[in-house]
Amino acid sequence: MSMMLSNWALSPRYVGQRNLIHCTTLFHTLTRWAKDADDKYHDINSMYENMFTPSNDNVSILQDEGKSDYDTTKTSSMQEDISAFNKDLYNFYNIGYAKQIMSASQLENIVKAKGRFVIQSLSTSPYYNLALENYVFKNTPRAKRGPDNCRLLFYINDRCAVIGKNQNLWQEVDLAKLKSKNFELLRRFSGGGTVLHDLGNVNYSYLTSREKFETKFFNKMIIKWLNSLNPELRLDLNERGDIIQDGFKISGSAYKIAGGKAYHHATMLLNADLEQFSGLLEPSLPNNMEWESSGVHSVKSKIKNVGIITPNQFIAVVSERFQKTFKVDGEIPIYYCDEFKSINDEIKDAMNTLQSEQWKYFSGPKFSVKIKDKGLTIKVEKGMIYDCDRNDLIGLEFKGFLENIDSYT
Amino acid sequence: MLRTTRLWTTRMPTVSKLFLRNSSGNALNKNKLPFLYSSQGPQAVRYTSQHEWIAVHQDKTAFVGITKYATDALGDATYVELPEVGTEIAQGESLGSIESVKSASEIYQPADGTVEEINTNLEENPGVVNEDPMGDGWLVKMKLGEGVNVEQVEGLMSLEQYEKTLVHDD
Repeated sequence: MSMMLSNWALSPRYVGQRNLIHCTTLFHTLTRWAKDADDKYHDINSMYENMFTPSNDNVSILQDEGKSDYDTTKTSSMQEDISAFNKDLYNFYNIGYAKQIMSASQLENIVKAKGRFVIQSLSTSPYYNLALENYVFKNTPRAKRGPDNCRLLFYINDRCAVIGKNQNLWQEVDLAKLKSKNFELLRRFSGGGTVLHDLGNVNYSYLTSREKFETKFFNKMIIKWLNSLNPELRLDLNERGDIIQDGFKISGSAYKIAGGKAYHHATMLLNADLEQFSGLLEPSLPNNMEWESSGVHSVKSKIKNVGIITPNQFIAVVSERFQKTFKVDGEIPIYYCDEFKSINDEIKDAMNTLQSEQWKYFSGPKFSVKIKDKGLTIKVEKGMIYDCDRNDLIGLEFKGFLENIDSYT
Repeated sequence: MLRTTRLWTTRMPTVSKLFLRNSSGNALNKNKLPFLYSSQGPQAVRYTSQHEWIAVHQDKTAFVGITKYATDALGDATYVELPEVGTEIAQGESLGSIESVKSASEIYQPADGTVEEINTNLEENPGVVNEDPMGDGWLVKMKLGEGVNVEQVEGLMSLEQYEKTLVHDD
């Protein structure tokens, strides 16, 4: 029987799938190790578990097939084999169907073809996730006729602060505090203000055509969907288009238009560790520095968690409603991505840009800052000091200057 | 400490789109630099499907901006990002972006050329893009590339053709 099982497993029909089991298991082990995702996906996993875990019926089918060399003396080892096999089968179904992670070529194919879909990233790397979003956005074809290629992405990032493309980072965040609390700093490709992410925050990104794009549209849908699910949520839209609950902001939005397409992406605070957020969105030395800059200034808002729903439930509900509401012909599929499999040069390039010092610290708007206790006014363009009362500071990197501010006086 | 997004309350009063089209708000402002740069005015003004305009003068100097239609759709500009002087930018490449209360919107180069000057007035006063997108709100002054004739560049449209595409937008 064990012979038969291994033959069966090695038959051409299954050998590929077994490799897939090992590959995806490996990827999952890695990702889980990296992000402790076990709990996070538990809901969805158990849903598919119920759907796909082979029942006793499957076992009896196997026993039927094995009747010819059925040997009662080997029953216990056979049962072990069967249960091992069933476990493999379960793993295959559970990962293979529920979360088949796209390869680079699969990703490219679906993104470049027309059509609507949902992508959920299983990575929690903010660099990968923003780069993936950028890739999908850039490579989605423009729909000149017929329905537009609506796409919906979900991703959850590890701790990070994300500033808008045209913001002065020094004025928005305190780099030293971010570092001490293990928050990465990213400058995103879209406009808007600064937001904080952690694993209790879900990011959704709705992509559509420039013509169909309307800033408040998708948040209105989300509010409708979630309130109909549970009226206790009492979600509402404020005049800026952000989602609020009892007057507190729970979601912040930013928008980008390029190449005849547009996206609206937003955060959704579900069970974020808000205590860790406090004090991070303030410039360093707030009492000593007076900032003046063009560019975009964040609007400070009181925030809270939605509560009641978990990140997984949020993703499941919004995906499901999106699939229903935006269906044109055929079901809208859900795909899964991670940074090990669903990656290509274009995504890597964008990750490199996002990670680069150049993009983080040496871009953004011009600004000037007055350091009161030192009586200095410093003007900065692209991260470099270009004008100052003290000549020896001109030409210095502002970042280095601020880090060692005491040594310059 | 500055903490509010700057707003320029220069938004158009609500006018029907039909009226906008008929009034040709997307025509070049004849009283401003992009038109007055040369005494005879621009030889050609062309439009892209992404709502940029380009006004080309006899000496191959061209001004680029975005149309009235586009700025109305974008809402109040809060920041204008422009390229560095001296940069050679090919047609279709990014020329910069305009961030408004609603979005960061990419601007594309209508035809090959090298940036000669940027409209530095927009650094402090991005709202000018909304007030006079077809005149004072010009973004970039550039020198067209050798042999570039905007009347033959694929994808560039006349005012009439451009405004026809807007009808189809709805």
